[in-house]
Amino acid sequence: MEQLTTADKIAAYVGGGLVVLGVVVIGLLEMLLGSGHPVDSEGAIVHEALVPLEIRSYIILLGLVIWGGYAIYKLVATTPPAEASA
Amino acid sequence: MTEQIHTQLLGRDVSLNVSGPWLAYWLVIMRLAVGWWLLHAGLDKFAGWPFDASWFIGGAAAGTSLGPFVTLFSDGILLSFTNVMIPLGQTLIGLGMILGALTRLAAFFGAVLMLFFYFINGETGGWAHGLVTGELLGILIFAMIATLGAGRVLGVDAYLVGSDFVRNHPKLRYLIG
Repeated sequence: MEQLTTADKIAAYVGGGLVVLGVVVIGLLEMLLGSGHPVDSEGAIVHEALVPLEIRSYIILLGLVIWGGYAIYKLVATTPPAEASA
Repeated sequence: MTEQIHTQLLGRDVSLNVSGPWLAYWLVIMRLAVGWWLLHAGLDKFAGWPFDASWFIGGAAAGTSLGPFVTLFSDGILLSFTNVMIPLGQTLIGLGMILGALTRLAAFFGAVLMLFFYFINGETGGWAHGLVTGELLGILIFAMIATLGAGRVLGVDAYLVGSDFVRNHPKLRYLIG
């Protein structure tokens, strides 16, 4: 059974954790504790966010950047084991 | 043909049975769908040539969190470079996805491109379509395609991965499917 390395775990848990935090957890908090998200006549969502959208988007951005950094790290610093499927 | 996958996540045994044919099927479907998305976007710009990205990287991007970097490309030779590289990159990423060729490399750059579109579109429009948009889902699909090496299913990478050149240069397996 393949085990995750430390770098794998950082990418999977920290990177993925930040994306899930920004998308799902804060989204749920907005629904439960924030104001409504009415859609205006042009179809745009009217935000009165509990967590500022800028901060929420930076949380997601940080998670995505960690994933991207991990991909570059794998390419530069490691070699896939022979005959494995990388 | 059900495959048993023995694995752990978050320290817990999460072993599961996966239908092999359906897994392979969905890897191809995702590649084709996301590939056409990018290939169409690229070819469309070539069909309507010349393409001018200045409204996006000089206008829409200004004031966004990626603005300080992106607006560096908003005039002169760097704008000319961008005007070619956006449609060319989209076309190559789309071809890579559809043909399953250099799939991981194509998926990485697809995710990078979508990262720019996600933040610049979102912040410019005040996230009027919410924070979970097609561009964010595109990033996730590209990440999944790269992680699973989807090009090995009915793709050129299935041939490349067995070639002597790739066997002798195993790092290349990080770029192909």
